[in-house]
Amino acid sequence: MASSTHINKQNVKSLLEALEQGDETRAEALLDELTQVRESELFQQVSSLTHNLHQTLEGLGDAEILLQTKHDIPDATERLEYVMTATEEASNKTLESSERALAALSQLEMLMSPLVAEEDKALLSECTATLNSELTNIMLAQSFQDLTGQVLNRVILVISSLEQSLIALIHESGHDYDAIPERAQTDEQKKADQMKGVGPNVTDKSKEDLAETQEDVDDLLAGLGL
Amino acid sequence: MALNREMKILVVDDFSTMRRIVINLLKELGFNNTAEADDGETAWPMLQSGGYDFVVSDWNMPNMTGLDLLEKIRADKDLNCLPFLLITAEAKRNQILGMAEAGVDGYIVKPFSASTLYEQMYQIIERKRVQ
Repeated sequence: MASSTHINKQNVKSLLEALEQGDETRAEALLDELTQVRESELFQQVSSLTHNLHQTLEGLGDAEILLQTKHDIPDATERLEYVMTATEEASNKTLESSERALAALSQLEMLMSPLVAEEDKALLSECTATLNSELTNIMLAQSFQDLTGQVLNRVILVISSLEQSLIALIHESGHDYDAIPERAQTDEQKKADQMKGVGPNVTDKSKEDLAETQEDVDDLLAGLGL
Repeated sequence: MALNREMKILVVDDFSTMRRIVINLLKELGFNNTAEADDGETAWPMLQSGGYDFVVSDWNMPNMTGLDLLEKIRADKDLNCLPFLLITAEAKRNQILGMAEAGVDGYIVKPFSASTLYEQMYQIIERKRVQ
């Protein structure tokens, strides 16, 4: 097979001879033959690629990649979005507290100033200046939220684009994305997973069966006599 | 020479935390006359309506970036001299040079300190005064 797909010297030689002899018909026929060899080689390569791709897509079957695309990738995105919201809330709380403390400090300074003995005035203003600058430092440190937020936004974008490519691949392979089932997991497996610890329950799905308040926890344990 | 503490400053950033920090820092420096916008698209009509003396802006924002906003300002006959200070996480040499080419007056890389902000504002105002 390999020999027939490669251009051999003899063919080229014959083509040259035909051209030298001015035998156009023969030259054309030989040229066609040579081109066909090249085309058939290309055709074989494309066909082998198609075959490989087809096999890969066929192989998707009930593969983990379907479940990962349907369940794990959206879960990862949801968790990253939680980190965005949580850090933003924490930053805002810290900023609010710093703002209130700064306002109280300047009031305190005004109130204290007339009451402090002359020799202590310098100390008072030194103390308030230090507090002022430390509170400003606390405030400025919250700028991390902007930086980490930009990084998270970018990662979320990459994950979403990966998700879209995988969904397209799933459709291409003749699978119905919407019909991908939940992960088959027995109650025992689920419990075993949970007993390893799953971290904060931040996604909608992880909020199922959740004790939301300390009271819920107390009630649950009280039911067991604790 | 001290800065005019009455000047009206527009703070543009898509992260509310960062806007709040910059506005608080400006307050600490004695600038109480501030307004805020969450991207270039919101900032542009505010600037066009007039009355602003200084812009402190982020670069990477949705809808209209800091660079687009700066270009619009520099192309506008009424606003082209408006001082524009960029505060950004973008820090590649080419980006800084590109911003300078677009006509930025100052460039601060995040995270930054209160004193950097003051020094940059001071330098910009001084330079504008000399011009």
